[in-house]
Amino acid sequence: MFGRPYDWDWVTVSSSGTELAAADRNGDAMTREAKLARTLVELADTLVDDFDVVELLTRLADRCVEVLDVEAAGIMLAAPDGQLRVMASSSEAMRVLELFEVQAQEGPCLDCHRTGEPVVNQDLATVNGRWPRFAPEALAAGFRSVHALPMRLRGSVIGALNLFRGGPGEMGPADIEVAQAFADVATIAILQHRAALEAHVINDQLAHALNSRVVIEQAKGMVAERLDLDMERSFTVLRNHARSHNLRLVDVAESVIGGTLGASELERASGDR
Amino acid sequence: MTGGDRRLRLLSRLQGGGDLDTQRLCDVCAEATGATGAGIMLMSGDVPRGSVCTTDAVSTLIEQLQYELGEGPCVDAYQQDRPVAEPDLAQPAIARWLGFTGPVVDAGVRAVFGFPLQVGAVRLGALNLYNDKPGPLTDDQHADALVMADIAAQALLLLQANAPPGTVAAELETNADFQFVVHQASGMVAAQLEVSVGQALIRLRAHAFGNDRTLTDVARDVVDRRLRFDAQSGEKDPAP
Repeated sequence: MFGRPYDWDWVTVSSSGTELAAADRNGDAMTREAKLARTLVELADTLVDDFDVVELLTRLADRCVEVLDVEAAGIMLAAPDGQLRVMASSSEAMRVLELFEVQAQEGPCLDCHRTGEPVVNQDLATVNGRWPRFAPEALAAGFRSVHALPMRLRGSVIGALNLFRGGPGEMGPADIEVAQAFADVATIAILQHRAALEAHVINDQLAHALNSRVVIEQAKGMVAERLDLDMERSFTVLRNHARSHNLRLVDVAESVIGGTLGASELERASGDR
Repeated sequence: MTGGDRRLRLLSRLQGGGDLDTQRLCDVCAEATGATGAGIMLMSGDVPRGSVCTTDAVSTLIEQLQYELGEGPCVDAYQQDRPVAEPDLAQPAIARWLGFTGPVVDAGVRAVFGFPLQVGAVRLGALNLYNDKPGPLTDDQHADALVMADIAAQALLLLQANAPPGTVAAELETNADFQFVVHQASGMVAAQLEVSVGQALIRLRAHAFGNDRTLTDVARDVVDRRLRFDAQSGEKDPAP
């Protein structure tokens, strides 16, 4: 909405930009509910021209660590070829571990993305053979329990949100719901952004194609007049010239309109007369 | 009814007729909103490019005039990014569209409504509705029109998405009138008068205005060789 990076100091601003009230810089004065609400608003408020997927997801990861009972968070998104890519991590240790997951093709995020279902409360010390390469790496990095929530809109799973904790205890259902809500909002923002980009491209292509057609129709008229042909024959003349000279039809049309390609040359080239 | 219900109801009207085609899209726009007629105008760079579809001859006239004059409910809706309504065209509260209003009222139009076609920030054109009796759209009709405009915008993009590169999608062209006859006539007149196509178009417009005819009709006469523009003696009909 404001076209600038979010202000993460929890300063409340009015729509005119003046500061209304400042919360504690550490965020302690804000209730958890207020933080959650603010996070959801900030995540949703991404329909701006300078939408940056990496920035959005980095802030999502940081927010998860701040408001949920987890030590580290990370997000992976699927590339067009289906392979997961690490997009954002709340710490370097987390990033290394997520890269390891992708390389080993094994881990909670991968399972979650593949099934589209949440992976919750997996105690790495007791997973019993699940993730035989990932589990020891994560334990060595100081993480004990892992969770992954799908980034999903109806049938489309675009990635997953990884949450790692140091202790073995379970993440409560309220926290899991909140984490899923964060993931959902980010998913919608990303999908809408992709759709918007595509819309721009297609619209531009349509406008460009129409412009080309206008030139071609103008050239048809000009050739029809000069060679005393109907529109269909005129089109054939233009098309034959394009083919025999290995040119694009629109370029031939431009030459006719611009006066660099004369009727007599077309007449000579035409096999239809 | 909820927005989702409304959208589902309108989408189900569209289906069941085989592949989506623009004529059906237009017809449903009119049926769903109860309008006498409907049309979809394509626009880019603030300028009308032509009509994708219309349900009847009056809607065709409405679109042709907006193309020719660059003014009207669709043009305003597109440029202002919001629905535009004139519920009493014969006695409008606001005096506007001075060139457009006379001919369409003569053709029986008493109310017109324009709804922009947008997908996010992308602007494609506008949906045009008209009624042969004065009066505003009901809240329900207005809400249906908004949803149909949204559906139509996405449908246009979807149809164009599958077109071979550099071409207008065949599905978009089938029922459309992108005023190619005007461009053909411009080419012919440019050759007749030895002027640029831009100047030829100006001459065509001047002839249409001076003879109280639409640009499209004049262009059609030129292409059908009922009307020539002669450098020496001005416009003339070549055959008695």
